[in-house]
Amino acid sequence: MADDPRPGAEGPGGSGPAIGKDEWVARSGERRLHREGVLGTIEERVRTLPWWAWLTAIAAGFAVLPVADSSGYVRRVAFDTLLYMLLALGLNIVVGWGGLLDLGYVAFYGVGAYTYAILGSDKFGIHIPTIALIPLVVVIGAIAGFLVGLPSRRLVGDYLAIVTLFFLQIFLTLSINGDDLFGLGNITGGANGILRVDPLSFFGHSLPVQHEGIFAVSYLYVVLGIFVVVYVALRLVNESRTGRAWRSLREDPLAAEVMGMPVNWLKLMSFSFGAAVAALTGTFFAALNASVFPLTFSFPLLITVYTMVILGGSGNQFGVAIGAILVSVVLELLRDPGNARVLFYVGVVLGLLAALRISRRLGIVLAATVALGFAVHAVARAIDSSWVAGQTADGRVVPGWASHWVIVPSHLADWISPVSYVGLVASVLALTLVRGWWRLVCVPPVLYLAAFVWENVMLAKPEPTRYIVLGVLLISLMIVRPNGLFGEKRVEII
Amino acid sequence: MDKFIQLTLNGLTEGSTYALIALGYSLVYGILKLLNFAHGDVFMVGSFIGFGALHALGGSADPVVPVWLLLVLITLAGMAGCAALGVAIERFAYRPLRDAPRIAPLISALGVSFFLTYSMQLMFGAQQRDYGTFALSNGSLYLKGFNIGDVRVPILRIITISSAFALMVVLWFLVNKTRTGKAMRATSFDREAAAMMGIDIDRVIAFTFVLGSALAGAAGVLFALRVPTTATIGFLAGLKGFTAAVIGGIGSVPGAMAGGLILGFAEAYAQGYWDTRWSDLAVFSLLVVFMLVRPQGLFGRADIRKV
Amino acid sequence: MKRAMVLAFVLVVACGATAAALAKPSAKTHFTATQALNCKSTMKIAFVTPLTGAAGFLGNEQLSWAKYAVKTLPAKFALKIQLVSGDTPVEAGPAPAQALAQKYVADKKVIAILGPSTSGAVAASSQAYFDAGLAHVSPSATRTSLTKSVDGKPKEATPGFFRVVPDDAIQGPTDARFMIDKLHAKKVVVFDFQEPYSLGIAGQVEAFLKSKGVSTIHLSVANTVTDFSSFVTKVPSDADFVFFPTQTPPAAQTFAQQLVEQGKKAKVFGSDGSNNPAQFHFAGSYVSNFAAPVSLFPYNKAIIAGWSKDNGGAQPGSFGPPTYGAVQVLLTAIQKACAQGHGKVERRAVIRAVKHVRIKNWILGGEFRFSTKTNDPFNGRFYIFQIQSNGSYKLVQ
Repeated sequence: MADDPRPGAEGPGGSGPAIGKDEWVARSGERRLHREGVLGTIEERVRTLPWWAWLTAIAAGFAVLPVADSSGYVRRVAFDTLLYMLLALGLNIVVGWGGLLDLGYVAFYGVGAYTYAILGSDKFGIHIPTIALIPLVVVIGAIAGFLVGLPSRRLVGDYLAIVTLFFLQIFLTLSINGDDLFGLGNITGGANGILRVDPLSFFGHSLPVQHEGIFAVSYLYVVLGIFVVVYVALRLVNESRTGRAWRSLREDPLAAEVMGMPVNWLKLMSFSFGAAVAALTGTFFAALNASVFPLTFSFPLLITVYTMVILGGSGNQFGVAIGAILVSVVLELLRDPGNARVLFYVGVVLGLLAALRISRRLGIVLAATVALGFAVHAVARAIDSSWVAGQTADGRVVPGWASHWVIVPSHLADWISPVSYVGLVASVLALTLVRGWWRLVCVPPVLYLAAFVWENVMLAKPEPTRYIVLGVLLISLMIVRPNGLFGEKRVEII
Repeated sequence: MDKFIQLTLNGLTEGSTYALIALGYSLVYGILKLLNFAHGDVFMVGSFIGFGALHALGGSADPVVPVWLLLVLITLAGMAGCAALGVAIERFAYRPLRDAPRIAPLISALGVSFFLTYSMQLMFGAQQRDYGTFALSNGSLYLKGFNIGDVRVPILRIITISSAFALMVVLWFLVNKTRTGKAMRATSFDREAAAMMGIDIDRVIAFTFVLGSALAGAAGVLFALRVPTTATIGFLAGLKGFTAAVIGGIGSVPGAMAGGLILGFAEAYAQGYWDTRWSDLAVFSLLVVFMLVRPQGLFGRADIRKV
Repeated sequence: MKRAMVLAFVLVVACGATAAALAKPSAKTHFTATQALNCKSTMKIAFVTPLTGAAGFLGNEQLSWAKYAVKTLPAKFALKIQLVSGDTPVEAGPAPAQALAQKYVADKKVIAILGPSTSGAVAASSQAYFDAGLAHVSPSATRTSLTKSVDGKPKEATPGFFRVVPDDAIQGPTDARFMIDKLHAKKVVVFDFQEPYSLGIAGQVEAFLKSKGVSTIHLSVANTVTDFSSFVTKVPSDADFVFFPTQTPPAAQTFAQQLVEQGKKAKVFGSDGSNNPAQFHFAGSYVSNFAAPVSLFPYNKAIIAGWSKDNGGAQPGSFGPPTYGAVQVLLTAIQKACAQGHGKVERRAVIRAVKHVRIKNWILGGEFRFSTKTNDPFNGRFYIFQIQSNGSYKLVQ
């Protein structure tokens, strides 16, 4: 209790360090680390909550969701999010705990999906019941991870990344051309994939995938249950000797080897575990979609899962689950221009909050941006009213609160799109170069330009926009906050 | 026999493109020990810049300058544009991460690659862009040339291959015979010692990126002269360029050239003689084998790590 | 004490979750297929098509025509329509199609679906749409097995699925027969691009050619390949034609150029995917399409001019106009259903109405109606063009 920084804490010899004395001065920094009052107590409690309380909260949230909203769409998105969370957990094992950059991860996802489809569909007439099939797929996934991990023993860092990426390409080529695999016959169905895959069935009771076209909510609960089980299992693994060995491997492989850790074995294990989790996720993917196609398991999916892991904080299970939820929801919101617009403005405000904290500067910047916008809009309208008369991508006129602020021309000349986009990127980059109050001055025009580009260029094509957002997120995360939301800061000794 | 000659010609053409891309990878890895995943997308941007330049100069149907000048100008435009892009990428995505754990710039590179691909798709759409080279001087670029046996070597291929080789020679000269080149080599050996010797590390690294990206830009234009381009070719081109760099020995300039040519030949022969579907497989497996058997490539040095 | 409280909390939540799971929630949403919309309100048509990825150019072209149709047509039918679009990139498999199906089924204002454009998306989501009563009319999903039983396997799509273009089982034999009868082909190289469209039609063509004794070679190329040099080398020098069912016309152009470059005498025969006079214009090649060029019909002049103006002076391709036609079909059906429902329209009524739609001055030529046996166009046929020395398309069959 001697180093308890909370104010008023009693030391062993009497009533705490006295004001003015060296110890009190020395500890002033600690005191400022947490807030006083109600907020401080809440923060303390939150920080000391056990890990399973968080898991319960997430699980409860998902469980209650279908009751709160009966839309099949929302439930389906929740299902997809759970799949992403599982994938993120698996990748976390390899990247976060093992410290190995595995760029072929989604190939294991594909291996799981294809194995389930091959062994549980009309393709070869094999219909292994789900109870037996899922463990079988997990084992096969683990073996695949083991095999792919074998070359990793001699490779480090970037080389490992490239070899795993090539394994992903090999997997893609084999599955696309699997309808005539070196004369072995039609194994993977080629580009047409495998159709009419069995739905999940437990004890002879098969779960239909949809009722009257609406997504069957039982699948949501099954995957939720699996998620909880996997989370707990992995947590136990992480707290065991293996987990500690992985951490030492990640921090300093050379030291670990010198200390006698079976480094190669550990690497293989982390590959195996990650692959097993991915394969498990693949089975549910195949079962719900009742089909498997080769091109699903490609680079964009890989980058999506990586963004989830990095955003959440690699190495922290809860973090990557939250990261998965955030990224999945954002990507889904970006599908619809109306939601995407709101997301943009919310994102800008949050970004400014994060950068400037609640302060006078924040108020000034926001006010300036809003004022600038109105001014420019008025000027543009005065010059040529067709400049502001346009409709946005979803065919609606911009909603009231934004219509007098952002410029949406009714006719966009061809050159405006690329020029304004490149201009935006250049000005944002330039913004990072200027310092001091100059930066504050430049932010409002850049924000206004960003709003213009978002409304006119990016909302018109929500699809590349989603990937652009992912890419930008990855780059900025690495530069600004590499440990993500919940990860621990790490120092690498080179 | 004709088939063999034709395939060799194909291999030489493709291989020279891969060599140009591989050089960029090699140079950057030599100096920063970083795999620049975004390099393939710089190649792709180069092909688009060339397309834009071509249209600015009147398009292939009605160019405002003679054909040879047109080709030179668009190649230079591609090189200049990509050089600027490469410097920008280094400055904003890699420099802040120079002292971070090795994994950080790699992931940042992945992000940059993604960003470039989809930004181009956002701005220019998903369809393929054809330079329309056939229309330039009425197809003579395709139809005139000299013959080896029964196989015709058209002018376009001659241009592609010789330009690539010329650029490689210029690069070799820059790296080995100039002071900046010497600074580059010194920095790649030992960055701290080079800094202590008074070499401006930031400028040297920027210069490296300029060289590598300019080569990629040239490769992009030369490639797109023959084949339509689209926003997504960067990924696969980058992979193959990287394979070439590794086979030849990453960090080594002659190695990148050799690796590129080897890869080009391997791909052409696999496509020509073997089942067309597995040619990609052959290329990827070649890399995996090399990585396992001889990770330092043909010309590279085995890395000794000091503990 | 605190631990016990938390434990109790966890148990309660767990029980709640299990109870919710076991109690089979009523699968019916409160909105079903029989709920009617007011015809005077703004209704939505959802367009499901690939807007990104390898097939992105197809979706974007179709979207431009769909937007133009929704801008100009509804007033003529006394309707107010809003177009919403969803992206189903082919690389992502069936999942986006299914997620979008959920979304549009749940959206009360959606009265019908335009698309899905890709056959894979149709197969994945047709059941969901039909169960919810949504008619889905596709301008480009040509896989035969969607509406016809192939090899004894059941149809992949439901009675709610319609298409305004004929299917691959007609195109393949048409092209092959033309090659044999009119072009006297003796040796043909058939390509496929490792994706469902080209696999289907290449298979059809090859089978027909083989059955008539023409010697064929089959080559399979990855969809991502743009440099065909070495594949061209594989084409024998005595081959007459190369059947090249690519969906990217520039690839067909490149291939034709490289054939000439390497001194092969074979000519390129493209399918409807390669049909684009602006991009594929290599003299001496052939292209087949499910329609004559829309500019051939004088009554289309205003439509083409209007679309072109909205799209920066572009020329119509082959994928766009059927989309316009599909919107026209949907609007005709909605108007009819509205009339029958006395100002209110149900989703299922639209399905019934679509089947009986007839359109004169169809944008793709002639009069349009659906076949009585399947939901394909009546008497669908394919047209074959030869590319002239000035790059224009001349109808030869």
